[in-house]
Formats: sequence, structure tokens, C-alpha cells
Amino acid sequence: MTEPTNPLRTQIVTRLLALGFSKEQIVETKAARSCYGYDATRQNIEPLLALLPENELQVKTILKLATEKGLKIFPRGAGSGMSGGSIPSHDGIIVSLTKMKRILEIDEENMIATVEPGVITGELQEVVSRLGLFYPPDPASLAFSTIGGNVTENAGGPRAVKYGVTGNFVMGLEAYLVNGEKIKCGNKCIKSVSGYDLTSLLVGSEGTLAIITKILLKLLPAPEAVKTSLLAFKSMTGAAHAVNAMLKHQINPSTIEFLDHHSINAVRSALPFTLPDETDTVLLVEIDGPKALVESQSLKLNELFKDEALLLIAARDENEREQLWLARRKLSPAIANIAPHKINEDIAVPLGAIPEVISRLESLSQEINLPIVCFGHAGDGNIHVNVMLDKNDPDQAERGQKAINKIFSITLELGGTLSGEHGIGNTKSAYFDKEWGPVTIATMQAIKKAFDPDNRLNPGKIFPT
Amino acid sequence: MTITPLTIEEELKKCVKCGACMAVCPIYRQTGREEMVARGKLNLIEIIRNNEELPPAWIEAVDHCLLCCSCEENCSKGVKITEIIAAARNHQTEIIGLNPIKKGAFALLKNRILSLARVVKLGSLLQWLLWQKLPNHSGLVRRFTLPGIDSKTVIPALPLKNLDDLLKRRQPVPELQPILFFSGCATRFLHPQIGLDLIFVLEQLGFNAITPKKFNCCGMVTWGAGDKSTNRELQASNLKVLNDNAHIKEVVTGCASCGHALKEYDNLPEDCEILDISELLFRHREKLEQLVGSRQITQKITYHDPCHLSKGQEVTKEPRWLLKLIAGDNFIEMRHPERCCGAGGTFGLTHKEISREILKEKTDDCDATGAEIVTSGCPGCILQLTEGAVVSKSSWQAEHPITLLAELLRSK
Repeated sequence: MTEPTNPLRTQIVTRLLALGFSKEQIVETKAARSCYGYDATRQNIEPLLALLPENELQVKTILKLATEKGLKIFPRGAGSGMSGGSIPSHDGIIVSLTKMKRILEIDEENMIATVEPGVITGELQEVVSRLGLFYPPDPASLAFSTIGGNVTENAGGPRAVKYGVTGNFVMGLEAYLVNGEKIKCGNKCIKSVSGYDLTSLLVGSEGTLAIITKILLKLLPAPEAVKTSLLAFKSMTGAAHAVNAMLKHQINPSTIEFLDHHSINAVRSALPFTLPDETDTVLLVEIDGPKALVESQSLKLNELFKDEALLLIAARDENEREQLWLARRKLSPAIANIAPHKINEDIAVPLGAIPEVISRLESLSQEINLPIVCFGHAGDGNIHVNVMLDKNDPDQAERGQKAINKIFSITLELGGTLSGEHGIGNTKSAYFDKEWGPVTIATMQAIKKAFDPDNRLNPGKIFPT
Repeated sequence: MTITPLTIEEELKKCVKCGACMAVCPIYRQTGREEMVARGKLNLIEIIRNNEELPPAWIEAVDHCLLCCSCEENCSKGVKITEIIAAARNHQTEIIGLNPIKKGAFALLKNRILSLARVVKLGSLLQWLLWQKLPNHSGLVRRFTLPGIDSKTVIPALPLKNLDDLLKRRQPVPELQPILFFSGCATRFLHPQIGLDLIFVLEQLGFNAITPKKFNCCGMVTWGAGDKSTNRELQASNLKVLNDNAHIKEVVTGCASCGHALKEYDNLPEDCEILDISELLFRHREKLEQLVGSRQITQKITYHDPCHLSKGQEVTKEPRWLLKLIAGDNFIEMRHPERCCGAGGTFGLTHKEISREILKEKTDDCDATGAEIVTSGCPGCILQLTEGAVVSKSSWQAEHPITLLAELLRSK
């Protein structure tokens, strides 16, 4: 794997070493670089260089140098994204923020944490929970994904039903523009309406506008109690009505996950309890808050659905809670047994449209003759749609592509969106203009241009190329 | 341990680069380098494995693995990562050859384990010239500067008599039910007392421990180093002993790594069952509860999960049941008991710096419990923890749970 020396790369490395970077912060060889060219989307493009700055001044140095040389910059967190948001180009520089992982302050009085972008979400949650505090956003990757990545993709998780997504907790940011200059937005104030809300603009911008170096996050008091229940229903419509009934009866779950019948069949045998044969949809409901409230809401849940649900189990302790969650946790590996590959989309629709979208996906599945497995967040309309196929079969691969197009059409017809939590990245950019009209896209592109006139910061993402 | 090149290809394809391994890899935790975590290593192995010339990044990545199985346990796709690493190391030894020190040591293991015993014994006689005993610890630090050995390395005080010697005077108890005891090299040569304690406990439970001298190294260390052929020979010689004793169905060990290795053997005799000592004790819990009675350890103790027991064999409940039985409320869980201690067979010797960083987090977690004894069902972990206690000036000692149980049963 010897490769010819690249004079540009050598030049940059020499400069960075002279500017105080250590060798450990520079990923130079072809083999090592290839480990910074992927994320969870099975793409791999090794960059010209990968750099691991340890502080914001080093980020600035990199940006200034890249500006001088006219180089592209690709910010990267844990590289666990599901839409290719951090995939570089061969002539671009990966800036991995994983070494900037300090929790700078936990302001208990104002209940705000100030962190660097490389902090692991789960580790922040652990640290604040020791102080009786709570950072609710819970993307499935929280044990290894970074806050910076969560912010730039505006990641969400099951708890979004009650608490919202990452963006709902970002109070303020510090970030570097592509030319190496710094901007600050937001603050610790609950009410803050001075000027454009650049914080919200940078949240979910997928690293295309600036490199975030400091994040102010809102914290909550930790809930006193959590109660998990599993409900089985005869139909998706029945389950959807149940979700609606919960909300109308002032039951305020933090999480309402659902599994469709394909998902149920995939995990059924691995479960420590027996699901009735006629089960079509399972809901996993979690209620948290003050103990008394959690108890009364759980009783209400039981009263409401004891007749309608085929099965209703309420966990009595942590062990039982874990057993109920098994159904959800075992799902990903279990559905892998249905077919060798899956095309996985994370569409979101308004709550009322869930039964309709599921039934239309069922018809689509019959039409293209491939299983479509749906599960996800029934409480917020975010559905993980998995088209199961064998990509090595060209016919199946073609039908799969066709299915994706149709899934997006159905979603948009029902007032939904291409992505509930993964972002557009480069895997969905080709469909972006299905969702937004030319004027809207042009407006977004004008914003991009104001931040990054030469299109050097994470190019090739979000917008169709 | 039988994976063929074809299945390696298939295993590599299973990895979807989700990144879950990053959450648990001790090496990634310290280095923060993508090449050092399982998915990065797999990426390198996938793109370069058929290449004769291995780039330094490849060798470094494949070398930096504790084989702790943490990533494997946390992998939703069930990728057999440690098998891939072992296969990659084998690939590397075929191209570059085995490190000469390991080569010599493995030759000794394979052909003349009893000569190895003599080497260790000679060492035990001479060790006092070079090393000095540490107060309160069963370890030694060196007296003078020695080339190639970190001044802070703590080595176990080599016993004058190994387990084989100590067992010469043992009175057999043929009326008891026979059970095979696989002591493993670390217990046999470095910590024979653990072996004696284990045999004593077995006798109390009604078992006569059979300890064939012909048992060889379990092979874990050669497998981990990519020395496939030595590993095969070691397995064959142990299988011969097992087959010669095939009338005894249960084989017990007090070493997490040996248990993990033995359980992975192909062609174990029919009905042969490999058990960690904690699993065996748990099976006979009613009898043990009677034997222990109301006696209880009065010192505070905590427990470190050996990787090859918890992740390798999924044995986590049984040691805890045992510790609760003998210590009651004096048993306290540490934070992250499942995190690797950084020993990883010979990794701790060859990669001192990273190993020490991993160990530091472990000893901090031990210290935080206020425990006087840190237990672990693995002689390798006990060695590493002992070194950790010296380095971090902690007041606890590392012991095998079986030692505490034996002491309790011997007490009045």
C-alpha cells in the first residue's frame, strides 16, 4: 500500500507541525486515513488528511490554513451518522472533533452545561445525573456519538415525545466560520430574541455552515421515577388510536415506541414473555416524572386499555423494565435475519397520519414484492422504514430503489418529511427537491453562500448536486 | 477458534461501521484514534488483508487489541471481532514472523512445559537479587535498572514451589466424586495458592480434584498472538488428556482465560463440560450455603469482572452470588466493574503506557468503593490489579474469590 507522496499533503503536515500540532493529531498515511472516511452508511472515501484538533485555536489554525490553500473541510464527530453527513472527498480534510471532549462547566444554578463538541452524549448524561440533573435527548447511538454530531444533525430519540430533540436543548453556541473567524450565538437566558436566531440555524445544519466548538445545553431536574409498560394491539389503527387517547387523557409519556407485525415476528421467539398470536402492533410506553404522578398516570393507562389491548404488562422493577425493552433492542439484529441487506429510512409524519402511512407501505411492500419492516417512535411520528432485500440481486436492488422513491412520495403526500432524526447528508440529497420547492431551496442555498461563499465546508451535503 | 478464511471475509462484511464498539473499547478510550477501535481495525483488515506488504498503521492497529471481547459483546451484528484479530495476527506472523521472544516462549510452552517449570523455579531462587518485595503486596519491584523493563513494573513474587510440587504431598480422597481441575499456567507457576484453595473448596463440596500433570497451556496466549500452529498443538495435547479422562465429565478451572479458551475448543469429548469455579459452586449452592453457615468476611470487598469470564463466557451472576454469600453487605459493586483492567495477556507487558492508563481508571474505581479487597476470578487480572494498587498507592489487595472462600471455610 505504498502511495506516491502528495506534495500538498506534505506541505500542510510540515506547516501544522511547525504550528504546534503533534504527530498524534495528524492522520497521514493512506491506511490510517481510510479509517476517517466512513460512517454508518457503508461509504468510505479516504480524505487527503485527517486532523484531530485539541482546542478551538487549533480549529482556527486549520481553517486559516485551508482557506489559504483553498481546501475543503469536512467536520466529523464519532462518525456514526446514518446519512453520510461526515463523508469527505479525496481532496478534503477531515476535522475530527473527538479530542475536544471537555465538559467545561455545569452551571447548577441556571441548569446549563457548557461542553466541547467531542463530549460523548451518554457520558454527559452520566455526569449530570450524578448531580441530580437530566439531559434528555437519547439518540440510539448515545453511548458513542458526540454532542457536536447530535447538534449538527439535530438528533432525536425515543424521549422526543415529551422532551423534544437535541435542538430543543441548545441554548447557545460558539462556532468558527470557514475563514477561521469566530461567531457566538445564544446565551444562558431563557428568553432571548435579540436578532436572528443563529443557534437554531446552526442546529441541524450538518456541518455545512460552521464548525461548532462550544455548546450550551439546557438541563432538567432528573425525573424521580420511570414506569415502562408494553401494550399489544390487534391493529395499527387500534394502536394509533391508543396513542391519541393517551395524549387526550393527559397521560404524558416520555416515550411511545411501536413495532409492526414484521418486527414482532422477528423478535417474538427471543422475548421472555408470550405475545398473543393475533398481535399486530406493540407499543412500548414509558412515563417519567414525580413518583406520585407516574403512579397515577400508569393506573390511568391500565384503566384506559385493559379491555382494548390484547396484553398489557407494566414493569415492576428495573429487571422487568429491561425485559420489556428487549423487544425493541433485539429488533435490529433480528430483522437482519429477514434478508441480507436493508435500506433504512427515517421518515416522519404528523401523528394522525401514522395508520395511513403504515397501510400504504404495506401495499407498497406487496407491489414491489419485498418485505418492508416498520418500527420507531409512534409518539412523534418518526418511523424507521426498512426495505429488506438482497442487494447482490440486481432485480431486487432495482425494486429497492423504486421503493425508496415511493416511500418518500407517500411520506410527503401525507405532510411528512424525508428525515425525522438522521439528517439529509449525501444519502438523501437526491430527494431533497421532492420535499422543498425551488424558491425554498434557493433561499437555503443563499444562506449557505453567506456563510461559505466558496462551498468549501462539508460540500456535497443536503443540496442536490 | 476454527474460523476459515472464507468466514473471515463474511465476518468482515457483517460490520456496518455503526460505531457501537467505540463505546466500550478500552484502547479507543485512551487513544481516541479511529484505527484503534474495532470498526477501524476491521476496515484496515478488510482493505489490506490480501496485500503482502502490511503498512505500519495496519500492524499497529492489529497489535493494539486486548482481546477483551468488549466490542464483540456490544456488537449488534455479532461480528466475531476477536477471531478476526487473531486471524490477522496469524496473517502477520506468516508474512513477518512471530516476535522472537514470543517464539521462544511458545516453543517452551509447546514442547516442554515442565522445563518452563524449571525456568520459573530458577527465577524464584534468583529473583531476590534483582527485585525487592513490596510491603503488603504479593509483588516485587526491581532493585536496579534493567534494560527493557519499565522501572515501575511489578512482577509477582515467584513461588519456590509450583502447584505440581505442592500437590506431591497431597493425600488423594478417592471416595469423593472425581472432577478434573485445569489449573492453567498462571495458577500453576505464579499463584499456586489459588490452586490449593480451589482444591480445598472442591473437597469440602465432595469433589476429588484430579490434576493431570500433562495438562498444557490452554493456548489462549498463542491464539492471541496469531501462532495458529502452536495453538493447534496445545489444544491437541490438552484434548488428549481430556479424552484419556473422558469418564470424568466436569472440568473446572479458576482462570477466566483458560475457561474461555477451553470452552471454545472443537472436538471436546462428548458430554465434557468446562466450568468456571463460580459456575460449579453456584450449581451446588445449597450445599455451599450450609458449609458457609453464618460465617462472614468482615472486610469490605468489591469485584472486577475478568473480560474472559464476563464477556468471554457470560459469567457475571455466579461470582456475585458467591461474594454476597461470603461477604453479605460487605460486598460493594464498583463503578464499571465490567471495564477491562488493561492486562490483556501479554499486552500489559508490551504496551505499558496504554495499559497503565486503562489500569488507572480501574484502580480509581476500586479506590472509590473503599474496599479492602478487590476480587477477580482471573490470575492475570489479579496480577495487573496488584501492580495497579502499588502504582496508585491503594490500600486494597487483589485476591481470587476462591481464596476468600477457602479462608472462610478454614476459619472456625
